[in-house]
Parts: sequence; C-alpha cells; structure tokens
Amino acid sequence: MIAVVLIGLAFLAILFIGVRMIKAGPRHEPGVVSFRKHIDALSPEARREVMDRVRPPQNDHPDGSK
Amino acid sequence: MARDLAIDLGTANTLVYMKGKGIVLNEPSVIALNRQTGEVLATGREAWQMIGRTPGYIVAVRPLRGGAITDFEITERMIRLLLQRVGVSRFTRPKVVICVPSAITEVERRAVTDAARRAGAADAQLIEQPMAAAIGADLPIDEPVGNMVIDIGGGTSETAVISLGGIVALEAVRVGSFDIDASIQAYVRREHGIAIGERTAEEVKVAIGSAAVTDDESQAEVRGRDLMSGLPKTVVLTPEEIRFAIDDVVSSIIASVVRCLAKAPPELAQDFLVRGMYLVGGGGLLRGLAQRIEKETQVPVRMSNMPLEAVVMGAGHCIEHYDALKGMFMGARR
Repeated sequence: MIAVVLIGLAFLAILFIGVRMIKAGPRHEPGVVSFRKHIDALSPEARREVMDRVRPPQNDHPDGSK
Repeated sequence: MARDLAIDLGTANTLVYMKGKGIVLNEPSVIALNRQTGEVLATGREAWQMIGRTPGYIVAVRPLRGGAITDFEITERMIRLLLQRVGVSRFTRPKVVICVPSAITEVERRAVTDAARRAGAADAQLIEQPMAAAIGADLPIDEPVGNMVIDIGGGTSETAVISLGGIVALEAVRVGSFDIDASIQAYVRREHGIAIGERTAEEVKVAIGSAAVTDDESQAEVRGRDLMSGLPKTVVLTPEEIRFAIDDVVSSIIASVVRCLAKAPPELAQDFLVRGMYLVGGGGLLRGLAQRIEKETQVPVRMSNMPLEAVVMGAGHCIEHYDALKGMFMGARR
C-alpha cells in the first residue's frame, strides 16, 4: 500500500516538474518583436558603446570617408 | 565567471574582443612547435618572428590557409592558448562568437566550433566575416539601404551587399594578401633569379606594392639567395614590377567585387553610387587598390576607419547584444 502511494507521489512530482519545465521553456516571440529587437540592436546608437571602446579617441569622423 | 569573447580567427591575425572590455589580443595566427615532441614553443608575434628562421627541430606554421583550417589539431591548440592568454580556464567557460569566411564548408564550420568548445568555450557561434565587418565599419545596416563591404583578408576576399540586418548578395574568393606575397616571391624568383622568404615578400608589398600608379613610385632593395650561386644577393625592384607581379591576384579580387555588384537587386544597386563601397581588412591597405576598384566598377570606394579591427569589432557588438543578434549566427538561419 505504502509503495503504491510512494509511486503515485513520485508520478505526480514528475508530472509537476514536467509541466513547470514546459512552461519555463523558450517561448517564441512574434516575428515583429524579434525583428524589431534585431534591427534596434544594429542601430548606430546600440553600436556606439563598442565603437567608443575600440576607436582611438582622436578619430571623430563617423563613416571613415576619405 | 568568464567574460564572453568575440574572435576574428583570421589567416593572418587573430583578434579577441572581450565583452565589456574591448580588444584584448591582436596577434599573428602563427604557432611554433617542436617537430620532435609536438610541444608548443611559441604563439602569436613570437612565433611569427620565427617564420623561415628556425632550426630543423622547430616549425613555425600558420594553421589557417585561405580562411580554412589546414590542421585541426594545431588550430585547436592555438585557440586554447589564445583563450588561456585572455583568462579562460576550465572553470571559466565563456560564450564565444567566431568570425569565419562565408565560403566555409560544413566540415570546416564544425571544426572551428569544436576547436573552440574543446579549448574551453561553453558555447561557440559563427558569424560571416563580411557581416561582422559591416557592423564594425559602422555602416547603417539597420536601414533598408544597400551597404556594400569588401573584406580583403590574408586568405580570402569577400564582398557582400547588406540591408536590413541581413546579407542580400555575397561573393567570396579564396584569394587574399598572402597570395599577393606569394606572387611577389614567384616574380622575384622567376625574373631576378633570387629566392626570398614570405616575410621579405610582405615587406616589399608594404614598402612599394600598389594596385595602381601612385604619387610615391620609389624603388626598393631586396636581399635574398641567388638561385645559381647560392650566395646572398641584392636586387632593386620597382613599383611597376610589383604591380605586374600581383596583377592576377588583384584582378581576381576585383572580378569578385564586380560579380557581387551584378548579383545585387537594382533597388540596392543605385544606393552604391551614392553611398559607395567600404573596404576593410589588411589587404585593403594595398596602395591604389581603392582607386583601381573605383576605376573598374565606377562606384566610389571608401576605406573603413579601422580596417584591421572592423571584423572583431562587429563580432564584439554581437557578443554585447548576444540575445538580440543570435539570429545572425550561421547555424541559426538554417
């Protein structure tokens, strides 16, 4: 009897963990949102941090044109 | 906790960008090994100085040729040593974004990611060099306009048209500045009967090499070994000779640029006439190359602000915005 109860409890615990894992799994963002994020991350403002970190301080011409 | 890294694994140089810090390593992609024991004796600049000057038991090699891994095991060891030098250990496993030529095969792709993972990376993602170069050259690739970037590296030359954060047209050839050096070596051997090393050929290219006639047409003295007598010998080379020697390589690069222009949709092609094409990579520093491309394509060519660092800066930006930009990685789009 105790064994049956323990097996039942174990089954419920596994079921509970499984449901939680499925819920916590990667959710797909709508295409519009993820595309906007992608484009925003490529904007000059987003890139400024990396550029400033690497670029020598005397260079202030943004497009490097001759 | 290790900081995530972006690596420009070039045929000529390897650059490493650390998240939140900037470029932390910029060294030649060379490794020196003990031929008998297989032990690594030096990497980077120290190993580069050994090229062509080693005793029999030492071999200084570039594990990448034409943008491809020629020796998987040595490449893995080189990546491991480079990562160790920037603080990666078995306990600190960073995410790594690696720039690779767009023409890389599936086997090569797997070889690079496996090498990075075995070298200590928790996750290794790949990004095409021209895409990283366009980000690093600060081109407005987030806009619906045609951006064209020409990346001339040591072993590959790649031209890409980029718009709205993606590659529209791409053309790559496995020809780069090392082929220019090899052409100079072959010319001097054939026409002057002397043998010169690859480092000397590179010095000649930097000193007097050009793709078109320039204001400075000074000559250069080159020392090598006479093929007939075996004795050291000096010859004088002119820029015109060098232009002739490297013409095949330069023409092949320009032909790939023309092919890429021809692939671009007409709506984007008209943007190039106004915005021009951007030249990045060490090979782009060859004197007169921008003018020659401009003359043959009738499209303005501009030099990027930091041609040698543009690719790693672009990959560095991807590691800074990893989640937003992971769709750009090579595996993600298939």
